[in-house]
Amino acid sequence: MNSIERVTAAVNFRKPDRTPVIAQVFGHAATIAGVQLGDYLRDGELLAKCQIKALEHYGYDAVFALMDTSVETEAAGSALTYRQDMYPYVKSYAISGYAGLEQLAVPDPRRAGRMPEILKAASILRREVGDNVVVVGCVQGPITIAMQLMGAEKALYLAIDHPDHFARLLDFATEVSIRFGVALIEAGAHLPVLFDPAASPAVIPAQFFREFLLPRLRQVFTAFTEAGAAANWLHIAGPAAPILPFYPQAGVNLANFDYCVDPLEARQALPGTCLDGNIKPLDFVDSTPEAIAAESSQLLERFGDCGGFILSSGCEIPPEAKPENVAAMVRAARKR
Amino acid sequence: MNKHNMKVLINALLDGDQAVALEETKRLLENGEGRERIISDGVEAAMTRLDNKCTADQFNLLEIMLAGRAVTAVIKELYPPAVPPLQTKGTVVTGTLEGDVHDLGKTILKGVLTAKRYRVVDCGKDCPVEKMTDVAEIEAAMAICVSGLITTVIPQVRLLRTEIVGRGLGHIKLIAGGAALKQGSAGSLGVDFVADTAFDALHYLESLMEMQK
Repeated sequence: MNSIERVTAAVNFRKPDRTPVIAQVFGHAATIAGVQLGDYLRDGELLAKCQIKALEHYGYDAVFALMDTSVETEAAGSALTYRQDMYPYVKSYAISGYAGLEQLAVPDPRRAGRMPEILKAASILRREVGDNVVVVGCVQGPITIAMQLMGAEKALYLAIDHPDHFARLLDFATEVSIRFGVALIEAGAHLPVLFDPAASPAVIPAQFFREFLLPRLRQVFTAFTEAGAAANWLHIAGPAAPILPFYPQAGVNLANFDYCVDPLEARQALPGTCLDGNIKPLDFVDSTPEAIAAESSQLLERFGDCGGFILSSGCEIPPEAKPENVAAMVRAARKR
Repeated sequence: MNKHNMKVLINALLDGDQAVALEETKRLLENGEGRERIISDGVEAAMTRLDNKCTADQFNLLEIMLAGRAVTAVIKELYPPAVPPLQTKGTVVTGTLEGDVHDLGKTILKGVLTAKRYRVVDCGKDCPVEKMTDVAEIEAAMAICVSGLITTVIPQVRLLRTEIVGRGLGHIKLIAGGAALKQGSAGSLGVDFVADTAFDALHYLESLMEMQK
């Protein structure tokens, strides 16, 4: 099986030749290529080159067309501060309050901010790996985009003080996710992943997730499916256990779970959904290859080899991770 | 002294209803209730109730944020500039270190600690280690609480320990929290305590106060 066949089998609970392994290597690809993170994040061609190098080095099952979590808000009008050795952050938000939403236009992925560079990265990656390795395109989810358009605190207060206004803000953010995700698929990504870290129960209550986000996730994943997505992958880090049972209602069939979610609990909450996770990201920096190998084996053992599981980290593997630790996770999956 | 029922204020704070909390505070003051008692039996009591409700499994950041916003408004109403300030238990410096600009965590912490009579000095986001240490020294802080959502700030957290010890401020306790930092242990980060939640940090500070008694 090639990586696409392997991941597809896992997502559909068919037995793959081995459990797929997707290392969430984003900025770490720049680190191992000896490239400054600040350059990697602004140049689609460079990003694709680094991703390919990382793929050749590690031999895992997916590459990522992903810069950082501020791409969407920058494209919508936020100004970012860039530094050479870290991810950029929002210097000034696109809008200072709800009233500003009227002036905002859904960014055109072919022109706005760094979106065209990411589309370029997706198409180069697809050209390089063809249909052998999964090309993942990353899009921020509605809650994260909404919070990044005006600041998390303001957005959350808006949700409580004026839920109707917040709903409109989320509708706008949903449009941004859909448009960028579909553009990524059209550019060559097999599999879009929707990152919505701000939708974690560590930030918003499960009820809030169900009321505000769930219907919009359904819209996003329906649009992705229609555009040809290989699967509907949702990635919400942190203590997500309380919201996992809602995922199937949104059409999710691949769900990331972080290190703080018990694998058994995740499986019980989502018996028919492929899971990916959940080695603690910091372990890739601080731990040893032996410990990572042991943790990987434990996960592989627990989930068996009949599909429904992809070995991965709980969230991004930090840029400063030790390469031997990433390699240990990949080796654990490949040797079985 | 009048003994007014604090139930309305407590419930308004728990609901995060700023308007009702403010209205009730004004009413209590007009009826002769003491500021200190409004704090101890109203604000502190509400925060204790919220603390009991927020277990590790059911930590609701939004709820605490809303309560924190209402608490801040109530304290502002009770202690305008013309009134002698609220007696606090000690000063805590908060902030995120250089490169980390997420400030939701420390906003929550500020609300919780303020409601429990700590004076909180906020160094803001993206704060250099030296500046945070300067502020802690000037303000005679009992603790520095750093929040971190990205692992790349971890070396700076370790540097903070070196900096405070190097400047003879080793008595200042260091507390770390936030999604990235709480993946580490106190030993590996070089801090005194790793807080899972804002209430966890509060409990640690309260245990320090107990030890000082």
